[in-house]
Amino acid sequence: MRIGKAADNSRNYSQCDSLLLGDQCGAHTFPYIEVLNSTAQMEHEASTSKIGEDQLFYFQQRGVSPEDAVSMIVNGFCKEVFKELPMEFAVEAQKLLGVSLEGSVG
Amino acid sequence: MLEIKGLHASVKGQQILKGVDLSVKPGEVHAIMGPNGSGKSTLAHVIAGRPGYDITAGSVLYKGQDLLAMTPELRAREGVFLAFQYPVEIPGVSNVYFLKAALNAIRKHRGQSELDAMDFLALVKEKAKLVDIDESLVKRPVNEGFSGGEKKRNEIFQMAILDPQLAVLDETDSGLDIDALRVVAAGVNQLRSPERAMVLVTHYQRLLDYIVPDVVHVLLDGRIVKSGDKELARELEARGYEWLEAPAAR
Repeated sequence: MRIGKAADNSRNYSQCDSLLLGDQCGAHTFPYIEVLNSTAQMEHEASTSKIGEDQLFYFQQRGVSPEDAVSMIVNGFCKEVFKELPMEFAVEAQKLLGVSLEGSVG
Repeated sequence: MLEIKGLHASVKGQQILKGVDLSVKPGEVHAIMGPNGSGKSTLAHVIAGRPGYDITAGSVLYKGQDLLAMTPELRAREGVFLAFQYPVEIPGVSNVYFLKAALNAIRKHRGQSELDAMDFLALVKEKAKLVDIDESLVKRPVNEGFSGGEKKRNEIFQMAILDPQLAVLDETDSGLDIDALRVVAAGVNQLRSPERAMVLVTHYQRLLDYIVPDVVHVLLDGRIVKSGDKELARELEARGYEWLEAPAAR
């Protein structure tokens, strides 16, 4: 994020949420902020969560397979972002997610 | 419908269930009472197939099938429902979307056609009345930001939608004030039917004032030490559990 010299009273809010699949992964977030104007307001937020065994079991207990459960949880997680995207990107993104999740739950 | 014989289960090497025998027939409501740590919730979880429990001995037959050999989702599709003591929050996934996926998975397993959005919403409307659940709650993400009472109500609402044959209610009364308890109990009572069996796991006799069980069992130290009718629950309320001290482990 870069705020230029002439950007008086500018505001920024960046949010970085990560969702971990499985126990073999991690997430690293490096926000880069460069501000050249002292009247700017900057906010940054980051969170990391993972798909819990409890969540998976809750889906399974209701009859949903673990594969479908992961896909629903991930799509729920990404929905906030997807709904900001133009329609064709949103559809594309959802398809990509479906592909990359195949075989991720054993 | 449910035949449990000599069930032994442990968690992380610690023996919790030490030979549970339980037989539940269709249409019956059984209450399982016992102090903290007696194994009540473990029994409920083992029936539903929660990971993390080792079954060291015994068998569980459900409709004549080996329940323990089935995956949790298969048990659910075959009609086993667990009302959770602590329902989980699923951010970003709406209650209706979640329930529609669940119901259609179950219907598919039964060889029925999937419900479309219109029929499903009609069903939601009908069942929401049963447990007096607000329709805005139905559209919100699953259990996210729900109060304790709303979560429990949501469990009974899900049960009404999914129409199980064997419902296990794990401490559904805990954390409920008396009004919420009445509403939840009324919902459960309406779901009683000759085809459906229910197992209520509870601490207190209070719930049994509203949902009258056919059989009451006392679980103590991993075994059912006494069974009786609803009068047993009253006796427990008056005398506590001490007089039923578990027989020394052999």
